[in-house]
Amino acid sequence: MTCYEIKDVTVPYLELDLDPSRIREVTAHLDGCAGCRAEMEAVRQVLVRVKGRAVPDPGEEFWKDFPDGVRRELAREQALTPGEAVPMSLPPLSASPAPQRMLWWPMALAATLLLVTSVWSLTSLIAHWSAPLQPPTAMLNSPATTTEPDLPQLDDVEWQRFWDEDPDLALVDMAAGLDQQAVDRLFEDM
Amino acid sequence: MVCLRIERGIGQAGGGGMAESDEQLLDRYGAGDDQAFEELVRRHQKIMYNLAHRMLENHADAADLAQRTFVQAFLHHQSFKRESSFRTWLYQIGINLCRNAIRDRAYRAQEDIHEMELAGPQDTFAEVAGAELKDQMRRMIQILPPRQKEALVLRVYHDHAFQEIGAIMRCSEGAAKANYHHAVDNLRRALAPSEDGP
Repeated sequence: MTCYEIKDVTVPYLELDLDPSRIREVTAHLDGCAGCRAEMEAVRQVLVRVKGRAVPDPGEEFWKDFPDGVRRELAREQALTPGEAVPMSLPPLSASPAPQRMLWWPMALAATLLLVTSVWSLTSLIAHWSAPLQPPTAMLNSPATTTEPDLPQLDDVEWQRFWDEDPDLALVDMAAGLDQQAVDRLFEDM
Repeated sequence: MVCLRIERGIGQAGGGGMAESDEQLLDRYGAGDDQAFEELVRRHQKIMYNLAHRMLENHADAADLAQRTFVQAFLHHQSFKRESSFRTWLYQIGINLCRNAIRDRAYRAQEDIHEMELAGPQDTFAEVAGAELKDQMRRMIQILPPRQKEALVLRVYHDHAFQEIGAIMRCSEGAAKANYHHAVDNLRRALAPSEDGP
């Protein structure tokens, strides 16, 4: 190795940033060259002196207040540039971390249940409305009912009047006249 | 004098046992968690202040620049692509702000000199080394070319590998090495101008 080549690898040599074989070559050259040895020592002294420079610690109070200073400056910058939206309003400390993430799945479940219930109710309602409206007499005179000997045989005129006066009471009255067996059969037919 | 000690590695994932990584904290900050904000600032405040102080050489400028580094990081955290670590990204922001500050300072100094009609700028290594200055080394580092000074500070005071220095300075690893070697070489020449002089 020549003295010129050594000059190029002085810093990497001191930093051990060379291949081991290269380091051995440099070391061998330095052993036999006082000039390069002096140069190497001078560079080493520079690094020692540079590294010896310290930054004065501004103190605990400074570090304690530093995050609040950043927070205030950030809030000020955000106010100046509203386009750069950061999802946190900084000055107040928020105690609960990310509540939105914690609640989304129960809300989704509730929304789904509500939707299913609504669809089911709507379907029932539509089916109910679209079914042909049968007057009570027709119901009672239908083949299904006429074949049932234990259902009340009401006179049409009397029933119609009763129905017109108070349909709810008429139904209650009719239901009261049914025995349990008849009720069970009605529910089966439904 | 109490000096600032830089603790490296505390921001790294897995570096502190069960400690959260910087990136996890940044995610939490993005979700609105103020504790994560506080933790990120506390974790890196000394490093950023130290970097700024090494580059600008005074407390007031260093404190202001360190603060602005965090403000910029949080203001634009959504643009952090995660191609590097959060700490490297923070360094990039800090270094950029330092460059701007040094450029502004040089511009102001030039204006001052112009106004005062001062001649003979003391910006050569030989002159600085020859002068009887109280803190010769500090001044010599101050007048290094910006890129060399950045490489020197990141290498010597922040113990970064050259690959990381390249990432911070947005140059190749080789360029980072070259800048650092030139910086040391310049300081060496400044310390012994007579040896290399005519």
